Amino acid sequence: MMLPFFLPRAVIVASAVVVAAVGAVSRLAAAGTVIVTVKDNKGAPVSDAAVYLTPLDQPPVVTAPPEPLVVSQQGQEFEPYVTIVVVGSSVSFPNRDNIRHQVYSLSKAKPFEIPLSGPGTSQAIRFDQPGIVAIGCNIHDHMSAYVVVVSTPHFLKTATDGLARFGDLAPGRYRLDVWHPRLAGETRRDLVIAANDAATQTISVTLKPDKRIRRAPDGSGGGYK
Amino acid sequence: MIPRALRFRRFSLRVLALLLGLVFAALATTYQVVSRANESNARAHARSGLALAGRVVDAAVRQRIEFLAASAAIMSGDDAIKQVLRTGDNKTLASVLVSYTTRIGAPVIVLYDTDGELLANSDPNMDNENAGPFRFLIRDANAKDLPQHSGFSYLRGELHLLVVVPLYAPHPNIFAWFGLAFPIDRTFAEKIKDTTHIELTYVATEPPVNAPAGTPAKPRLLATTLPAAASPTVIAGATVAAARAENRDLGGLTDTLTLPDDRYVTLYKFQEMLAEAPILRVLQRPLGPELEPARDLENLLLVTSLAALAAAAVLALVIARSVSEPVRALATHTEKIAAGDYATRINLNRFDELGQLAEAMNAMSQGLDEGYRVRDLLDKNVSPEVAAQLMRDGAALGGEEREVTVLFADLRGFTTLSEQLAPHELLTLLNRYLDRMSGSIEAHGGVIDKFIGDAIMALFGAPVPQGDAPDRALAAALAMERALIMLNRELAAEGIAPLAIGIGINTARVVAGNIGSHRRLNYSVIGDGVNIASRLQSLTRTAEYRTSIITSAATLAALRDPGKISPRPLGTVPVKGRAEPVEIFAVEV
Repeated sequence: MMLPFFLPRAVIVASAVVVAAVGAVSRLAAAGTVIVTVKDNKGAPVSDAAVYLTPLDQPPVVTAPPEPLVVSQQGQEFEPYVTIVVVGSSVSFPNRDNIRHQVYSLSKAKPFEIPLSGPGTSQAIRFDQPGIVAIGCNIHDHMSAYVVVVSTPHFLKTATDGLARFGDLAPGRYRLDVWHPRLAGETRRDLVIAANDAATQTISVTLKPDKRIRRAPDGSGGGYK
Repeated sequence: MIPRALRFRRFSLRVLALLLGLVFAALATTYQVVSRANESNARAHARSGLALAGRVVDAAVRQRIEFLAASAAIMSGDDAIKQVLRTGDNKTLASVLVSYTTRIGAPVIVLYDTDGELLANSDPNMDNENAGPFRFLIRDANAKDLPQHSGFSYLRGELHLLVVVPLYAPHPNIFAWFGLAFPIDRTFAEKIKDTTHIELTYVATEPPVNAPAGTPAKPRLLATTLPAAASPTVIAGATVAAARAENRDLGGLTDTLTLPDDRYVTLYKFQEMLAEAPILRVLQRPLGPELEPARDLENLLLVTSLAALAAAAVLALVIARSVSEPVRALATHTEKIAAGDYATRINLNRFDELGQLAEAMNAMSQGLDEGYRVRDLLDKNVSPEVAAQLMRDGAALGGEEREVTVLFADLRGFTTLSEQLAPHELLTLLNRYLDRMSGSIEAHGGVIDKFIGDAIMALFGAPVPQGDAPDRALAAALAMERALIMLNRELAAEGIAPLAIGIGINTARVVAGNIGSHRRLNYSVIGDGVNIASRLQSLTRTAEYRTSIITSAATLAALRDPGKISPRPLGTVPVKGRAEPVEIFAVEV
């Protein structure tokens, strides 16, 4: 049987442990601080995880930034990989490459298409519904990016150290969400942040194997075997 | 002539060698036949496996072509690439092709326009020149109006399967041609091997047309499932096969190559190339696994053969022993008989020919024993000369007339002695006397004819003729006298009275021969002359003769050497039955 080269079918299940350290150290007398560390099951920090806290006691007030955020196409990659915006924000997609790209999404939160555009062009897209928007390039299968649209001002993306530190949180009930492109399902937990509260919460999540299309060698290394 | 190596000193070894040789030959032949049949079967099986594998390779290539063609057809229907094509932006187009290489799994995708000009290439290192085989296919497909085209060629010196598929915009208008390349490399060969368990190798016996300058024109492996150590053998085998091919038709040519780990049945086939010399597709299957089941059989055969050989050896030894042991016993027995042992009997306890031989030998021993006893008795009972004559001439009745000198000796005064001595003392004394007298007679060549009580009758000149018989007889008589003197001295020392003898000697023609009945014979002489000798002996008793030895004129006349004797004439005496008196003489020292 002549089959194309498949990626391994075996699913490697990784688990991430979200440690929520809820502290009460703050400049404001009643404010709380939450430090979230996202780790996989081997204890390695997980970057590009979206972590956001939604207040449950009163509807959160979000304000879109005046300037659009930027997800560029550069070296046939989207940069950054994961972008978190509040509802109503605009994201511009400038082509900083020397070839054309065709950015699109079929996600329910925001289906859109930017027609095939050459270097130097840029178009902004407004995201007015919360949700995960998976973005690709129609002609470059390996290009992939995510825009996470949230309806809370308390959101952070973990850096390479896997840390997300929230300060100045008013006491009250919150819902903690953690999302990652490889996360299996939703990871959500309610917590209560009291004034000077120092409670610690642990959330376990599972990471799926990375299924992103590996970028084909562009010939600089010989092209093919 | 029997070769030296086959001349055995022992019968058992001969039987052993013969039987073992026969059994070994039969078993070796069987083993050889079975082994050859197995090997031939294994080869046939391997060949059919190779033929099947060849079809699998062909099918795999066809499938790969179809897959690539189908993939290209889907690509050509992709709106995205059409949008890019509309822009004429070939740089973007190239990046799209790179993206598609991953989608399809073909490492090289190129796009040509209908004029054969390269629009874009997923591999920027592959220039127009190297992508030439694609153009060749596109032109051929255009010329033949083919919906797709494919073939084997080199891309940058490596073996690839090339497929070209049109990009319709819209169907059936060909806007451009996709060219897809799939490497026929170790990975491909290993996939074939996974399915067929057959080693697959591609060998180029000639360099590519577009080979860089200075490339040596030597055969090389393009792809193989074999380890590097096997390469030289396979290359050599392929080169030989290519040279043998007529009109590039190998016609299912197979041979057997000995690679480091096993012998491989090898099937060669030419693989046509696009505008290049064809390469050889080499399919190989090891003989070892094919022979594995047969090897069990062969091992079983070997074990049973060895067992049969051992059994044959034991059987041969038993048979050989049953013959050689009695033969050796017979030989030993014969040696005993030769050494004079006639008493021992051999018993083999058999009823076959050897048993009969043993019986015959026993009968022979008995015959020899009896003959020996007869001869022994003969020697003791008659004089050796007579015995010899009897042995020579047989104990036939009859006789011959010949001149014989007869000597009679008688013991004087024996009657008186017999009254004085006990019987056994008397016999001892008599035998002592007779022994001495016999010694003197035989010392002079006389033959004791018989002992008559204390008297002796001896013959000279019979049975063996003697020219000087009278001389001997007279000398013997004188010697007897001297011997008696010696005996008398001994007897005197023992206190026994001396003995005296009288001797008569006559020479006459007498009849000599075996005398007696059929059951009992004596060699003796008869005739007048014998009686005269006896009479002359009696005459020694006559006192006035004063002599103990009297002989006749006939004896003196027959002397060969008369000078030694000085006879004293005693006159004549009448003899009973004779008209003329006999002239007698005393013989003295």
